Amino acid sequence: MSLSFRFGLSRRHLLASAAATVFAPAIVRAQGAALKVGVLLPRSGAQAGIGQDCFRGVEVTNPILKDLGLGELQFLNADTETNVEVARSRAEKLIADGAQLLMGAFDSGQSSAIAQVAEQKGIPYVINIAAAPDITEQGYKFVFRNFPTAGMILGDAFANQKEIFAEAGSAPKSVVFMHVNDTFGTAMQKGIGAVMPKFNMPYEIKETIAYDPTARDLSVEIAKAKATGAEALLVVSRLNDAILLTREMVKQRWTPMGVLSMGPGWYEDQYLKTLGKLGDGPLSFVPWYDPNKKLSKALEAAVAKKYPEINLNTNHIYTFEALLIAADAYKRAGSADPKALADAIRATDIKDNVSTGPGISFNAKGQNDKLKNAGIQNRGGKLVTVAPKGATNAKAEFPMTPYDKRG
Amino acid sequence: MRRLAGGISPRAAGLLVALLVALIAAPYFANDYLLTVLILILYFAYTGQAWNIMMGFAGQLSLGHALYVGLGAYTAAALYVHFGIGPWIGLLAAVPVAMVAGAIIGFLAFRFGVAGVYFAILTIAFCEFARIGFDHVAYTGGSAGYFLPVAQYGHDDLWNLRGRPVMFYYVILALTAVAFLACHLMLRSRVGYFWRAIREDEEAARALGIDTFRYKMIAVVISAGMTAVAGVFFAFYYNNLFPEQVFGISRSIELILAPIIGGIGTLFGPVLGAFVLTGLSEGMTELLHALGFDVPGAKQVFYGICLLVVIVVLPDGIWPWLSRRLGLERRP
Repeated sequence: MSLSFRFGLSRRHLLASAAATVFAPAIVRAQGAALKVGVLLPRSGAQAGIGQDCFRGVEVTNPILKDLGLGELQFLNADTETNVEVARSRAEKLIADGAQLLMGAFDSGQSSAIAQVAEQKGIPYVINIAAAPDITEQGYKFVFRNFPTAGMILGDAFANQKEIFAEAGSAPKSVVFMHVNDTFGTAMQKGIGAVMPKFNMPYEIKETIAYDPTARDLSVEIAKAKATGAEALLVVSRLNDAILLTREMVKQRWTPMGVLSMGPGWYEDQYLKTLGKLGDGPLSFVPWYDPNKKLSKALEAAVAKKYPEINLNTNHIYTFEALLIAADAYKRAGSADPKALADAIRATDIKDNVSTGPGISFNAKGQNDKLKNAGIQNRGGKLVTVAPKGATNAKAEFPMTPYDKRG
Repeated sequence: MRRLAGGISPRAAGLLVALLVALIAAPYFANDYLLTVLILILYFAYTGQAWNIMMGFAGQLSLGHALYVGLGAYTAAALYVHFGIGPWIGLLAAVPVAMVAGAIIGFLAFRFGVAGVYFAILTIAFCEFARIGFDHVAYTGGSAGYFLPVAQYGHDDLWNLRGRPVMFYYVILALTAVAFLACHLMLRSRVGYFWRAIREDEEAARALGIDTFRYKMIAVVISAGMTAVAGVFFAFYYNNLFPEQVFGISRSIELILAPIIGGIGTLFGPVLGAFVLTGLSEGMTELLHALGFDVPGAKQVFYGICLLVVIVVLPDGIWPWLSRRLGLERRP
């Protein structure tokens, strides 16, 4: 009579029990060990600069987590090379190497490729930066995003502008809209066209001027913008063209009431350093941090200490927060078991965070839909937050000081 | 059977069979990471084979082959997303769309005597038109990207190409094997001889009575159609399409590297090139990682140096040299 017949046990059951006995101590030990986080960022290729900037956020994280009483994280780094295929294969590799959670990858295409691997393997994946709404519309169970979607970014941008105009007691009646004619610029142009009517803005767009991202001279475009008689400049640009546009405005003696930027460029360190006093004044509407939060100050200090030449920015903030989510969930889950980790992330409720808004929590789709964007302004080579109310550390200077009156 | 084996030496045939058996058995030994790398290798081997028809066989340099990948990908993805039409039926639309695009480019070029480097520029131009155009097509997501619905599948759904990496691996393996076989047959057919005559000396080929316009068009259309199949695979494997990534010039360059490194105009060249390039890329990453060398971009520098060495030392590609060394060439 076999053992399985008498006791209802099969050899498989026995083997499983034996394996559990052998490996149980390892599981217990794992609870005390650092969580292995696979960090996927585009640190080379077209997005190298941004990927490396995000990586600065990774490098300052562990000491802050320690201060918060959260366990340190062990990072397994991978470069996605700004390539969807590489992002996917690197995600597979990190999981094969023992990553218990994935984080990254700045770009929507790469993040989407990683999300599929994470979902197939049942490994939690926290997206630091990626704005395509579809990523969290796929019914994923292991994918979480603590970054606003494109629609949220645009909606908040207009709301923040209205708040600034109301507080300043002055608003432009017309704007000229200039945008870089690349993928991002055209997407934003379409988004603005769709979202703006819902906000009953005080201004109308007098003219839309698109320009080439590789343009080396924007004098014609600025002359055209000035000739429209618009009171302010609404702009979607990159860094180089933001510098070119500013220089051209100074040269052509055109100071609009304000520069309202809906993208990168105008608040970046290089812009501030290159233009000095001429860099002051533009308002940027971006996913940002609440300067009044305790953790923001800690992160700002950590970045300033490690990188004295660099201001805290979106890349650091959201990369740090993605890792904060991981460490917090690991502590609550008490285990690196992927399902327990995913459940813990789903139940995240972090109030003491960095980004603007009430805190970090996720809806059923894995999206933090409570995030708010901010309005920031360049002031004396630094950045101050001027909107939304309750998350500011300065009042907006609007209209901005004319270029020829800056000494 | 004799026709299939024609032109391949017994040693080469043996090697081919061994490779095929190893690839069929690979999922039983490889983990998912290796499987992903093998999928990439086979994808580049397949697209390289398709490009090779145009450049390697018929001597027409296309530097905008991403156009056909993109057209195939977007057509099949749109049919799936908007009408629920699966990828295999989608192929019936995706392939003709790419073929028509190829025919238009070919007609414009060959009819008006655009050749050589000017033809290459024309192919780039069309690819760029497509990239900019798709940035503005809201129906397929525009520049914000086009996402195919993804779900956690308990089983592999071959009909809808939804499932685990192992299913995609066998699909791309089958495609690569069929492409290899098709290219072998084409190369040994009447059309294949005409193509090679055109490649070697178009004037002489015309003087011999070959309708060069017609046969060049056939090469472009077949190559475009085959490449579109890779596009359909790409769309359903990665499940997201961005015009900048799909139609970008870097994508076109990626597609042609395997046959260039492996050996243009050879059957084994694209396959070998894909193995060497992807293997080198992944191996370089691992080596640098093992050495604790975490400098972004360092891999690309070493990778570039390796490619440079290969091109300088073996200007005809690796396969012609390797086949000579291994005695795989069929003796007359």
